[in-house]
Amino acid sequence: MSESAIIDYAVLIPLLPMLAFPVILFLGKLFNGTPTWVKNAKEGGIIALTVMGASLVLTLLVIKEHMNHVGSANIFTWFESSWWNAETGAITTKVFGVGIHIDHLTVMLLFVAAFLCFMINIFSIGYMNTDSINDNRNHRFYAEFVLFCSGMLGMVLADSFLWLFIFWELMGLCSYLLIGFYWERPSASYAAKKAFLTTRVGDVFLIIGLVMLWNLFDGHLDYAYVFDKANIAAVDSGDLQLALGMMFIGAVGKSAQFPLHVWLPDAMEGPTPVSALIHAATMVNAGLYLVARMFPFFSGAELGSLSTLAIIIACIGGITAVMAALIAFVQMDLKKVLAYSTMSQLAYIFTGLGSALWFANNGYEELAAFAMGASLFHLFNHAMAKGMLFMASGSVIHEMHHAHHDIAHHGDDDHEHDDDNFDAQSMENMGGLASRMPIAATAMFFGSMSIIGIPLIGGFWSKEGIISSAWQVALKEPIFLLPAMLILIGAGMTGFYMSRMWLMTFAGKPKTEVAKNVHEQTAWIPIPLVILTFMTLSAFILAGMHAGNWLGNFETGHYSSFLGGVGSELKHVFLNDDPFLLVLTYIAIGLSLILGPSFAMALYGGSLDKGQKAKPWMQWAINLSDKVNSSSKFDNSAWANSSLAEALHKRLYFDDLYDAAMLKIVVGFANISAIFDTKVIDGVIKTIETTSQEASRRVRSLTTGSARDYIMMAALGTLVIFMLLWGVA
Amino acid sequence: MDIKNKEFMLIGGLLVVVAGLMAFFPSLNDSNSTVDWISIPLVGFPIVISVILLAFASQETRSRKDIIAVPIRLFTLCASLIPLAISTALFFDWLILVDWNLAYNDYALEKEYLWIESIGVSWHVGLDGLSFPMVWLTTFLVPVTIIATWNEKDGATYYPLLLMMGGALIGVFVALDLFLFYIFWELTLIPMFFLILKWGGKDRRYAAQKFFIYTFCASVIMLLGLITLYFLQPEGSGSQYGTVTGRTFDMTVLFSNATAFNMGDNVFLGKDMQNVLFAMLMLGFLVKLPAVPFHTWLPDAHVQAPTGGSMLLAGVMLKMGAYGMLRIPIAIFPDALLYYQDVIMAIGLISLVWGAVVCLGQTNLKKMVAYSSVSHMGVILLGIASMQPIGYAAALFMMFAHGIISPMLFAVCGAFKHHYHSMEIGSMRGMARWSPYLSVYMMFAWMASLGLPLLAGFVAELMVLLAYWPTYGWWILLPGFVLAITAAYYLWSMQRTIFEGGDEGQPPESLNGETPPDITLSENIGMLILAIFTVIFGVFPFIALGMMDQWAVALFEGVFNGGI
Repeated sequence: MSESAIIDYAVLIPLLPMLAFPVILFLGKLFNGTPTWVKNAKEGGIIALTVMGASLVLTLLVIKEHMNHVGSANIFTWFESSWWNAETGAITTKVFGVGIHIDHLTVMLLFVAAFLCFMINIFSIGYMNTDSINDNRNHRFYAEFVLFCSGMLGMVLADSFLWLFIFWELMGLCSYLLIGFYWERPSASYAAKKAFLTTRVGDVFLIIGLVMLWNLFDGHLDYAYVFDKANIAAVDSGDLQLALGMMFIGAVGKSAQFPLHVWLPDAMEGPTPVSALIHAATMVNAGLYLVARMFPFFSGAELGSLSTLAIIIACIGGITAVMAALIAFVQMDLKKVLAYSTMSQLAYIFTGLGSALWFANNGYEELAAFAMGASLFHLFNHAMAKGMLFMASGSVIHEMHHAHHDIAHHGDDDHEHDDDNFDAQSMENMGGLASRMPIAATAMFFGSMSIIGIPLIGGFWSKEGIISSAWQVALKEPIFLLPAMLILIGAGMTGFYMSRMWLMTFAGKPKTEVAKNVHEQTAWIPIPLVILTFMTLSAFILAGMHAGNWLGNFETGHYSSFLGGVGSELKHVFLNDDPFLLVLTYIAIGLSLILGPSFAMALYGGSLDKGQKAKPWMQWAINLSDKVNSSSKFDNSAWANSSLAEALHKRLYFDDLYDAAMLKIVVGFANISAIFDTKVIDGVIKTIETTSQEASRRVRSLTTGSARDYIMMAALGTLVIFMLLWGVA
Repeated sequence: MDIKNKEFMLIGGLLVVVAGLMAFFPSLNDSNSTVDWISIPLVGFPIVISVILLAFASQETRSRKDIIAVPIRLFTLCASLIPLAISTALFFDWLILVDWNLAYNDYALEKEYLWIESIGVSWHVGLDGLSFPMVWLTTFLVPVTIIATWNEKDGATYYPLLLMMGGALIGVFVALDLFLFYIFWELTLIPMFFLILKWGGKDRRYAAQKFFIYTFCASVIMLLGLITLYFLQPEGSGSQYGTVTGRTFDMTVLFSNATAFNMGDNVFLGKDMQNVLFAMLMLGFLVKLPAVPFHTWLPDAHVQAPTGGSMLLAGVMLKMGAYGMLRIPIAIFPDALLYYQDVIMAIGLISLVWGAVVCLGQTNLKKMVAYSSVSHMGVILLGIASMQPIGYAAALFMMFAHGIISPMLFAVCGAFKHHYHSMEIGSMRGMARWSPYLSVYMMFAWMASLGLPLLAGFVAELMVLLAYWPTYGWWILLPGFVLAITAAYYLWSMQRTIFEGGDEGQPPESLNGETPPDITLSENIGMLILAIFTVIFGVFPFIALGMMDQWAVALFEGVFNGGI
């Protein structure tokens, strides 16, 4: 009975934040600016925190109950409609229900979403409420924030692709609102529109895919029916591949993959908690979640019939991984580096999922489970690390901003606005912050290591799995060499740009006066950073608990003894029995641990100011970078001035291309159409109108009023009548 | 300013008494002695009250008119709430138990009174799953429109005209007699014509004439079709048949005759005649809908019409076209429907795509919204062409959802025009600074119109797509393309009005430097009501869809299962 009890409350997980949305908005409108509202309620932040806390508690209860078995609950029937079979004349009812479905995928993403939403909420209270630019409008932020969380939690819990789509769109709306939070800035307004429209293009394909799927599965989109092996077997796999392919385009848009990736970097216009929330922890994972959800189709369909789609998914991943990493090389904006890094890491997961789907569709169940587990584990690790990285970067930017404000307006309160063009987000203005911001520096240190895949930390465990899975597919299917090669190269590139980012920000001498005066002083902000640092470091615990196995195969995934688990994982990675995988592992480690960071150190390394000392766990890295930097004579100026660097600065011209296509072709055509509509279509009507008026004027002119004319006409008329009669006779 | 209180209260009191009598007197008995909840309370009452008020107001001098406008407004609002209360009560079975699970050609609360016996005309009214949602929508929109345009000038005649509009529209929806149907069909033109002519914008004279003549010409073709149908039908005997002509205008009789005849391989009136008559009727309905290329009266009418006129025009009047299609030609000429199926689909698709593309090229806010209506009405045609109950239910739900969303779109446009004296997109930046409420409503309405899930419009679009794919396959990419274009023009217009503008904002030039005001309380309330109902029907679509689905199933069982 306890099972049914807790799952009945699961609906509250998304419902509570959704109901908090109007409450916060309304209270904010009512009490805006009053001391209690600002100080005690943090302009709604406390309400949001309470609700998200409640959601998190419920989530943990649900997870505790459903760690090892699937649960589902029906909530209500959304609507019913009918289908007519033209041949037989039979009419069947199609039910569109609302319900909850919980399996291992749900559990994992639910935890990620609820936990990170809560963390980011804590961070937001520190970040948003201490910046005067946000005064008196934070309630809007928190309201949109909780609505967004509701969308993410709802999407994960939904029991059908239809409701997945509905919450998916709700998140799209919220990301539009949150990115455009500073609506008065044209850049933010533009970025919000761009994000919505780009993802909307994907969403259109997603809904068409859903329509096709609904038709294939006899009017069902609920997981219980479509994942049934017998039902999958009954479907034509060619049609299924098309439908899933259309749905995948939606995932590409949401997860910012090539070629619908252009919105993500611009979306950094939103406040930093938004970036952490949308662009690292939750929304971008929606696309991955959708693809991961397709797994049963691949394992259930005819052998090899869906391979093409799996290969496409992996290739999109591979291309994006390298493209985004390349662009990240030249970014100077701290948040934009993280944005491109997000794209690149999500691409890894797509490649991993592609491998898993390929294995599943070709009958390699164990390998499929392994690849699936690795991909989802990487999703988990990436979400934790990237959420933390964004928050730490937010902390840096926040304190930079404050320091700048203190220096620029010292004793001069009249100037509230920053008139000069100081960019608090540019890494060119930072440097040497390791000693001044120890918590943020530590968080970013371990976060970056997790993303790079430094052995034993966070993302390492999962990234190795993805790379080895991709290569194992490549051994069987040569086309897979492309994504496999690309993500291997990407591993080294990740090592470079993440190290570059950390070194430019925290190592070396401060590059500006502002950077010298930065202090970590804002309350609330350090809490999530510290918690998440430990989360990231503890990934080996999860690895030891066979998280990968559990995620990959819900039914047989098991918990071994803890130390034994760690041991077998370590052995699996470092002393693999398969020589090919062994070599591959060391190549990947070499690229990501040695090659990438070395280049970064040679270019951007340096010691701190005299007298400044970082925490011991970072000091060695700074010292090392200083040594590498001074001993190497590596000069990259030729490279920095090359046309490739120029193209990378321009984001490989994709944005320009899309803008031109939109403005020149679509809007141009629309303008011509508007003219055509008034001139031609309405012109015809106007012509009829004027012609009839003209005709009536002419006819009217016959009425001269002169008796002579009338007699004449009467005579003519009589004549005509006579002639007619005569003719008829 | 002295209101002749006594005189006014006398007349007002008299009106209330008349109203009460008319609304609640167990009206005209016939053989079936149940109360007639349709004829007087829903149709007669608003029209008669508005005629009395108009007659009353027309006797007054200009200055007195301004004074009596205030009580007339209040009175009209109260009067319009009575039909709303009745139709809501009918839905929830508060008045009498109504069985909405109707078979084909069965009607709830049906009433018939013989009228012109020589040619077989009767006052025949009834409700079913097709008409009731539209009736409720009309009764709902009239008070909301009155509230949202609380400060319209010349209120003494304006508000009664809105009320009359509502009564005439309900008449169209409840009529079960072709003659009656046509009378109400044309009656709706009169209040709308005067609303545009008197309260319209700069080119109101041209717009009013164009609106009237264009739709009237189309209606005349429809009338010709109806009369031809009348004379071609087989003669019969019975109370509904004319004593002189031997034929009937009664829809229910026609439907059952046609359905009975269409069984097997027979075709009622013959295939060619079906095709011709179907085309004639459809022409009248397509112009009203409006579908491309017969749509050009709509932008003119909307741009010139006052806010209240636009709200009712877009909200209910356009749906008369869709309602007419679903009610008459499809039931009588199912073979012709199959014959024209692809044509209807093509017209729908063209309306959908062309409307959306032209929207993107507009610089006038209200014109953009008007074209978006053209685009959305195309969806209804797609639903009809899909030949699936889910498509028909979708068409119905689209009519209903668009009937709530589009008045909100026009209310936003109206408030914009009212306060900022301009309709140009881009005439101001940073509206959110001065007018947070209008910005929120604008964003809400725009999002609802572009089909955001959990708002009413999404369900209809989803259902149409579901019905469309099996029949027309990859053509579905075009509606998909429109979904993206729709988002583009709405977001584009929001970016250039609500957002941007920097820390200072950029007020419209037409205000000559004054600070732009926020919307008034009444506008706020009106839009809030519409927004709340958009959410209700988006989250709980089954409230309205249950009835629509039953109607669609009954139609398919009754009309198509026999002959095709």
